This record gives sequence, C-alpha cells and structure tokens, in this order.
Amino acid sequence: MNDKEEIRELVIERLKYLPDNIKVSIGNMGSFDKEELIEHIKKDDTIGKKIVEVELHFLMALKEGILSEQRISSD
Amino acid sequence: MLFITRPNYDDTTNYLYYWSEEIIKEAEKRNIKVIDFKGKKANRVDIEKFLKKQNPKFIIFNGHGSAESIYGQKEIIIKSGENEKLLKSKIIYAISCNSASKLGEDSIKAGAESYMGYGDAFIFLYDPNKCSNPLSDDLAKPFLKPSNELAISILKKNTTEEAYIKSQNSFKKEIRNLALGESTNKEAIRWLIWDMHCQKLLGNPKAQL
Repeated sequence: MNDKEEIRELVIERLKYLPDNIKVSIGNMGSFDKEELIEHIKKDDTIGKKIVEVELHFLMALKEGILSEQRISSD
Repeated sequence: MLFITRPNYDDTTNYLYYWSEEIIKEAEKRNIKVIDFKGKKANRVDIEKFLKKQNPKFIIFNGHGSAESIYGQKEIIIKSGENEKLLKSKIIYAISCNSASKLGEDSIKAGAESYMGYGDAFIFLYDPNKCSNPLSDDLAKPFLKPSNELAISILKKNTTEEAYIKSQNSFKKEIRNLALGESTNKEAIRWLIWDMHCQKLLGNPKAQL
C-alpha cells in the first residue's frame, strides 16, 4: 500500500464515525451520504480527492493548534 | 438597493434559498429596497437586463459556482471574460463554490468595488429529513449562520473588512461551540474550518453601503 492509499484508508476510517442520517453538500459536485463519500474515496475520483483534501486540511489545522482556546476564541 | 438571486432546484440551492430569507428580512427592516430574483427568474437574460438598467450597490448571488462562473437556475449567469463588467462599482457576496478565485479577481479588475465569497468548495452538512424546512436544520445552521453574518453586517453599513471579520468570528464561535460543547455533531468541525479558510475578501476592504 503506497502513501496515497494509506491516506485514503485513514480518511475512510474517520468518515465511518459520521452519523448515518446526514448528507454533505459539496457545491456543484452534489450531496452525498456517508456511504457515497466512502465510495468516491475508494474510486479516487474528483469528489473523493476533494474529501481527502478537506480531511488533510483539517489535520494540518489541528497540528497548527486551530482548536486551542486562543485560536478559536472570538475577537 | 440589495439585488439577490435565489435559484432553487436541488438540496443545496434549496437550503441557500431559505437561509437567505434572514438576509432579506434584515434589509427590509432597514428600509433597503430588495430585488429578489428567485427560482426561474434567476436566469442570465433577466439578470443581465436588470443589471444594465439598474444600479444596485449590493449583490448577493446564491447558487452553484466554479472558479470562473456563478450559476442561477441551472444556467451560468455571470462568467469571467463574458459579463463580469456588470459588477462594476458593486459590493458582491457570492454564496457559492470557488468563484472568489478567477471570477472574483476578474470582477475586481473590471471595476467591482469588493468581491466576497469562497475560493474553493463551500461545504455544509444537512439532515435530508429537514429539506422541507431547512431553517429548522441544526446540522446546517453552523455553516449558514456565519455566511449570513457577512451579508447582514454589510446591510448594517459595516465595511466589507468588518463584515468579513464578523463572519470569520462567527465561524470560530460555531467551531468552539461544537468543540467544547456536548454536541454529537463534532464531525462538522472539519468542514467548518474548511469553509472559514476558503472565505475570501477581494477588492476594497473599506467598501460599505
């Protein structure tokens, strides 16, 4: 398994924690439930790549301390 | 005058359609004239005709988008290189994906005073069982309320920079509430952070109504 495949697997595992009764609107790409999101990641298509990009952006933001009290407190 | 487009033909545009009502009510409360092109009226011919004749200072586009275009009711209404000159001297807020990149920059070059929107996909969560009443959807609220804050702040005669900061702070507040509260919807945080970082202000930061 190469790095990209490992990242996709990681994102899929994280998405499994999403509740079943929600949908995610990703603009003109459409709206997707959990299973559809996971399918797109497995296919590694445009939508799957966007979901992975959002997840990596989130992990990077976490690393930079986005959720620290100071960073998310209103000015 | 506020000019607003509200297409409504799928879940995403349906949510934007109803959540924009809060903005319209705020404008009416402040005696700001609202021209509301909703549903099929949100088409290119009618919008171009209106913008050539009238001169609304503030424009809100709801709907799908791309780096180069904004959609109305299933068709492109504003496209880079074709009709962005119609946005000259206006304050624009595009509640759509991606348009605060090439279209936003080209609009500023064409004379738009300020262009606010999203430089990448605008993402939100929703409960498919609430599509008939999007305003009651607590999953969508943390995404659409910060977006509305920007428009409402402009209507309150704040500068675009102040409105942008207010909206960014509203995103932070929603993220904080989800992170520190007892919400079961903590998974939404990743997409809220994404939207907050994708929100852009281009052009004059001191522009105001």
